[in-house]
Amino acid sequence: MPIKLKNILGLSLLMLGGCSQLHHVHIGEIDQSQGTLTPFTLKVNELGFDAAKAAKIGADVAKSASTSEDLELVAFILAISNFGPKTGNPVYNDAYADQVLAEVIKVCPSKRLTGLTSVREATNAGPVSGEVVRINGYCINSF
Amino acid sequence: MLKKTILCALFAISLSGCVGLNTVSMTQVPAERDNKITTNSSSWNFIGINFSNVFVDEAIENLKTQCPTGKIEGVYTKHQTTGYVLVFKREVIVSAYCNEV
Repeated sequence: MPIKLKNILGLSLLMLGGCSQLHHVHIGEIDQSQGTLTPFTLKVNELGFDAAKAAKIGADVAKSASTSEDLELVAFILAISNFGPKTGNPVYNDAYADQVLAEVIKVCPSKRLTGLTSVREATNAGPVSGEVVRINGYCINSF
Repeated sequence: MLKKTILCALFAISLSGCVGLNTVSMTQVPAERDNKITTNSSSWNFIGINFSNVFVDEAIENLKTQCPTGKIEGVYTKHQTTGYVLVFKREVIVSAYCNEV
Protein backbone atom coordinates (compact mmCIF):
# COMPACT_ATOMS: atom_id res chain seq x y z
CA MET A 1 0.00 0.00 0.00
CA PRO A 2 1.48 3.39 -0.95
CA ILE A 3 2.15 5.92 1.72
CA LYS A 4 -0.92 8.08 2.11
CA LEU A 5 -0.93 11.77 1.31
CA LYS A 6 -1.94 12.62 4.87
CA ASN A 7 1.13 10.77 6.14
CA ILE A 8 3.38 12.76 3.85
CA LEU A 9 1.67 15.96 4.97
CA GLY A 10 1.99 14.96 8.62
CA LEU A 11 5.65 14.11 8.14
CA SER A 12 6.31 17.43 6.41
CA LEU A 13 4.66 19.28 9.27
CA LEU A 14 6.69 17.27 11.80
CA MET A 15 9.89 18.09 9.95
CA LEU A 16 8.93 21.76 9.76
CA GLY A 17 7.33 22.06 13.19
CA GLY A 18 9.15 24.43 15.53
CA CYS A 19 12.19 24.67 13.30
CA SER A 20 13.92 27.14 15.56
CA GLN A 21 13.19 27.19 19.29
CA LEU A 22 14.29 29.69 21.89
CA HIS A 23 14.58 28.26 25.40
CA HIS A 24 16.47 30.81 27.45
CA VAL A 25 17.94 34.30 27.14
CA HIS A 26 20.19 36.13 29.57
CA ILE A 27 21.49 39.58 28.67
CA GLY A 28 24.50 40.79 30.64
CA GLU A 29 25.78 44.27 31.42
CA ILE A 30 27.19 46.26 28.52
CA ASP A 31 30.00 48.75 29.10
CA GLN A 32 30.37 51.21 26.23
CA SER A 33 32.37 53.72 28.29
CA GLN A 34 35.79 52.03 28.12
CA GLY A 35 36.34 51.95 24.37
CA THR A 36 34.93 50.74 21.10
CA LEU A 37 33.31 47.32 21.07
CA THR A 38 33.96 44.45 18.71
CA PRO A 39 31.17 41.88 18.66
CA PHE A 40 31.76 38.14 18.74
CA THR A 41 29.57 35.06 18.70
CA LEU A 42 30.44 31.63 20.03
CA LYS A 43 28.26 28.61 19.51
CA VAL A 44 28.42 25.02 20.69
CA ASN A 45 25.90 22.44 19.72
CA GLU A 46 25.09 18.82 20.30
CA LEU A 47 22.82 16.36 18.53
CA GLY A 48 19.50 15.90 20.27
CA PHE A 49 17.26 12.94 19.53
CA ASP A 50 13.61 12.40 20.43
CA ALA A 51 13.17 8.64 20.19
CA ALA A 52 9.44 8.81 20.95
CA LYS A 53 8.87 11.19 18.05
CA ALA A 54 10.90 8.92 15.76
CA ALA A 55 8.72 5.95 16.75
CA LYS A 56 5.60 8.06 16.18
CA ILE A 57 6.77 8.94 12.68
CA GLY A 58 7.45 5.25 12.10
CA ALA A 59 3.91 4.46 13.22
CA ASP A 60 2.48 7.08 10.87
CA VAL A 61 4.28 5.75 7.80
CA ALA A 62 4.05 2.02 8.63
CA LYS A 63 2.44 0.00 5.86
CA SER A 64 0.61 -2.54 8.01
CA ALA A 65 -1.87 -1.72 10.75
CA SER A 66 -0.23 -4.10 13.24
CA THR A 67 3.23 -2.56 12.75
CA SER A 68 1.71 0.86 13.18
CA GLU A 69 0.04 -0.20 16.44
CA ASP A 70 3.29 -1.73 17.73
CA LEU A 71 5.21 1.44 16.94
CA GLU A 72 2.51 3.53 18.61
CA LEU A 73 3.04 1.45 21.76
CA VAL A 74 6.83 1.87 21.50
CA ALA A 75 6.34 5.64 21.11
CA PHE A 76 4.10 5.69 24.17
CA ILE A 77 6.59 3.71 26.29
CA LEU A 78 9.46 5.96 25.17
CA ALA A 79 7.39 9.06 25.88
CA ILE A 80 6.47 8.05 29.44
CA SER A 81 9.98 6.81 30.19
CA ASN A 82 11.36 10.25 29.28
CA PHE A 83 8.55 12.13 30.97
CA GLY A 84 9.61 15.03 33.17
CA PRO A 85 11.05 18.52 33.04
CA LYS A 86 13.55 19.01 30.23
CA THR A 87 14.82 21.69 27.91
CA GLY A 88 14.94 20.60 24.28
CA ASN A 89 15.64 17.07 23.14
CA PRO A 90 17.86 14.73 25.18
CA VAL A 91 21.53 14.68 24.12
CA TYR A 92 24.29 12.09 24.55
CA ASN A 93 26.88 14.37 26.12
CA ASP A 94 26.18 16.33 29.28
CA ALA A 95 29.35 18.43 29.04
CA TYR A 96 29.00 19.89 25.57
CA ALA A 97 28.32 23.38 26.90
CA ASP A 98 31.36 23.42 29.21
CA GLN A 99 33.82 24.38 26.46
CA VAL A 100 32.04 27.73 26.11
CA LEU A 101 33.88 29.25 29.07
CA ALA A 102 37.30 28.34 27.65
CA GLU A 103 36.28 29.73 24.25
CA VAL A 104 35.02 33.01 25.74
CA ILE A 105 38.30 33.51 27.60
CA LYS A 106 40.29 32.98 24.39
CA VAL A 107 38.22 35.17 22.09
CA CYS A 108 39.39 38.67 23.10
CA PRO A 109 43.05 39.61 22.66
CA SER A 110 42.49 42.57 25.03
CA LYS A 111 40.99 40.15 27.62
CA ARG A 112 38.32 42.76 28.32
CA LEU A 113 34.80 41.46 27.75
CA THR A 114 31.40 43.04 28.11
CA GLY A 115 27.78 42.48 27.14
CA LEU A 116 27.78 38.72 27.39
CA THR A 117 24.43 37.33 26.25
CA SER A 118 23.70 33.65 26.75
CA VAL A 119 21.09 32.06 24.52
CA ARG A 120 19.91 28.47 24.78
CA GLU A 121 18.16 27.52 21.56
CA ALA A 122 17.52 24.56 19.30
CA THR A 123 17.07 23.85 15.63
CA ASN A 124 14.65 21.01 15.07
CA ALA A 125 14.23 18.73 12.10
CA GLY A 126 11.70 16.06 13.00
CA PRO A 127 13.02 13.81 15.76
CA VAL A 128 16.56 15.18 15.63
CA SER A 129 17.71 18.60 16.72
CA GLY A 130 20.75 20.74 17.18
CA GLU A 131 20.78 21.72 20.85
CA VAL A 132 22.64 25.00 20.82
CA VAL A 133 24.27 27.23 23.41
CA ARG A 134 25.14 30.60 21.88
CA ILE A 135 27.18 33.30 23.58
CA ASN A 136 27.22 36.78 22.10
CA GLY A 137 29.45 39.45 23.53
CA TYR A 138 31.85 42.28 22.87
CA CYS A 139 35.57 42.73 23.23
CA ILE A 140 36.47 46.18 24.56
CA ASN A 141 39.11 47.93 22.47
CA SER A 142 40.91 50.97 23.82
CA PHE A 143 39.86 54.40 22.52
CA MET B 1 -26.81 22.10 21.03
CA LEU B 2 -24.12 23.48 18.71
CA LYS B 3 -24.74 26.98 20.07
CA LYS B 4 -24.21 25.74 23.65
CA THR B 5 -21.00 23.97 22.66
CA ILE B 6 -19.64 27.09 20.95
CA LEU B 7 -20.59 29.26 23.95
CA CYS B 8 -19.00 26.75 26.31
CA ALA B 9 -15.80 26.70 24.21
CA LEU B 10 -15.68 30.51 24.13
CA PHE B 11 -16.16 30.63 27.91
CA ALA B 12 -13.37 28.07 28.38
CA ILE B 13 -11.06 30.07 26.09
CA SER B 14 -11.76 33.26 28.07
CA LEU B 15 -10.78 31.45 31.28
CA SER B 16 -7.53 30.02 30.01
CA GLY B 17 -4.28 31.93 30.43
CA CYS B 18 -2.54 33.07 27.29
CA VAL B 19 0.92 34.13 28.49
CA GLY B 20 3.73 31.71 29.19
CA LEU B 21 6.73 33.04 31.09
CA ASN B 22 9.76 31.27 29.69
CA THR B 23 12.71 32.76 31.53
CA VAL B 24 13.66 35.67 33.76
CA SER B 25 17.19 36.79 34.51
CA MET B 26 18.83 39.69 36.28
CA THR B 27 22.34 41.06 36.72
CA GLN B 28 23.79 43.09 39.63
CA VAL B 29 21.68 46.18 40.31
CA PRO B 30 23.78 49.38 40.59
CA ALA B 31 23.41 51.94 43.38
CA GLU B 32 22.86 54.69 40.83
CA ARG B 33 19.46 54.13 39.26
CA ASP B 34 18.44 57.47 37.77
CA ASN B 35 18.45 56.65 34.09
CA LYS B 36 16.27 53.64 33.37
CA ILE B 37 16.17 52.31 29.83
CA THR B 38 13.78 49.71 28.44
CA THR B 39 13.33 47.88 25.21
CA ASN B 40 11.55 44.90 23.80
CA SER B 41 11.60 42.89 20.63
CA SER B 42 9.29 40.21 19.42
CA SER B 43 8.69 37.60 16.80
CA TRP B 44 5.31 36.28 15.63
CA ASN B 45 4.70 32.75 14.46
CA PHE B 46 1.89 30.48 13.37
CA ILE B 47 1.39 27.31 15.48
CA GLY B 48 4.87 27.65 16.89
CA ILE B 49 6.81 27.40 13.63
CA ASN B 50 9.86 29.68 13.84
CA PHE B 51 12.85 29.95 11.63
CA SER B 52 15.07 32.32 13.58
CA ASN B 53 15.77 33.79 17.01
CA VAL B 54 17.31 37.00 15.69
CA PHE B 55 14.79 39.13 17.57
CA VAL B 56 16.90 38.64 20.72
CA ASP B 57 19.82 40.44 19.07
CA GLU B 58 17.51 43.33 18.12
CA ALA B 59 16.75 43.91 21.81
CA ILE B 60 20.48 44.14 22.59
CA GLU B 61 21.07 46.63 19.75
CA ASN B 62 18.10 48.75 20.95
CA LEU B 63 19.57 48.76 24.44
CA LYS B 64 23.00 49.81 23.20
CA THR B 65 21.61 52.74 21.19
CA GLN B 66 19.90 54.09 24.32
CA CYS B 67 23.21 54.23 26.20
CA PRO B 68 25.88 54.88 23.56
CA THR B 69 28.71 55.99 25.86
CA GLY B 70 27.72 54.63 29.24
CA LYS B 71 27.52 51.43 31.18
CA ILE B 72 24.34 49.35 30.97
CA GLU B 73 23.82 47.76 34.39
CA GLY B 74 21.10 46.00 36.34
CA VAL B 75 19.81 44.24 33.24
CA TYR B 76 16.45 42.54 33.79
CA THR B 77 15.50 40.21 30.96
CA LYS B 78 12.14 38.55 30.56
CA HIS B 79 11.35 36.05 27.81
CA GLN B 80 7.67 35.28 27.36
CA THR B 81 5.30 33.77 24.84
CA THR B 82 1.74 34.99 24.31
CA GLY B 83 -0.81 32.87 22.50
CA TYR B 84 -3.55 34.42 20.34
CA VAL B 85 -5.34 31.24 19.09
CA LEU B 86 -2.91 29.44 16.74
CA VAL B 87 -0.71 32.53 16.49
CA PHE B 88 2.05 33.07 19.04
CA LYS B 89 4.16 36.06 19.95
CA ARG B 90 7.61 35.41 21.40
CA GLU B 91 8.93 38.44 23.19
CA VAL B 92 12.04 39.57 25.01
CA ILE B 93 11.46 42.49 27.37
CA VAL B 94 14.53 44.15 28.82
CA SER B 95 15.00 46.94 31.34
CA ALA B 96 18.32 48.29 32.62
CA TYR B 97 20.07 51.36 33.99
CA CYS B 98 22.38 53.52 31.91
CA ASN B 99 25.19 55.04 33.95
CA GLU B 100 27.79 57.40 32.55
CA VAL B 101 31.21 56.64 33.97
